[in-house]
Amino acid sequence: MSLQLSHFQAMLLFALAISVAFGFLSRRPPLERVKYILWSLFLFLLIGVGIGWAMYPFSH
Amino acid sequence: MTDETQAVEVPERDPGRERLAVGIGVAGWILPGLGHALQKMWGRALACFLTVGALVVIGAAMRGNLFTSDGGDAFASLGYLADLGTGSFYLVAKSVETSGPDVSRADGDYGTRFLAAAGVLNLLAALHAYEAARGRKA
Repeated sequence: MSLQLSHFQAMLLFALAISVAFGFLSRRPPLERVKYILWSLFLFLLIGVGIGWAMYPFSH
Repeated sequence: MTDETQAVEVPERDPGRERLAVGIGVAGWILPGLGHALQKMWGRALACFLTVGALVVIGAAMRGNLFTSDGGDAFASLGYLADLGTGSFYLVAKSVETSGPDVSRADGDYGTRFLAAAGVLNLLAALHAYEAARGRKA
């Protein structure tokens, strides 16, 4: 079994899994959980893409 | 200014409950989500099982490095500890990754991180279940 994903797809799956787990572990009311998951996912992606762009000048 | 001190109530330690909490923590480590399921926290149990399971299966399918006990250096030993955190899912990863790791590509490197993150996440969930069993977390 071999799975090939792009960098972004891998980051998205990773961020989604971690955000869902954190949301369920740290919040109890369903609405709070959803808000936490979405916010955490957004920050994961924002910081991930941000770090990617910050490293861009060093790759050239 | 008064010199009053407020008495802090310290809950009595119950050895039976403490042992049960340790058992629940260990159960949560062996099978992700079981620690919460034993306390009827179904949502958390399912979330832990599915997220740790997904990270393990994806990590192994991406041919990440699944460390063994004979790693050789400190990083490999730490990686082994992290991978062991997945409990029984370590064996699942081994069965999925039949052709061995391939970290010559970015996919394999990502897979290594997925597997390690799954282990650490499961340890966190097991610790959460243990604390909940002790009555410290809701």
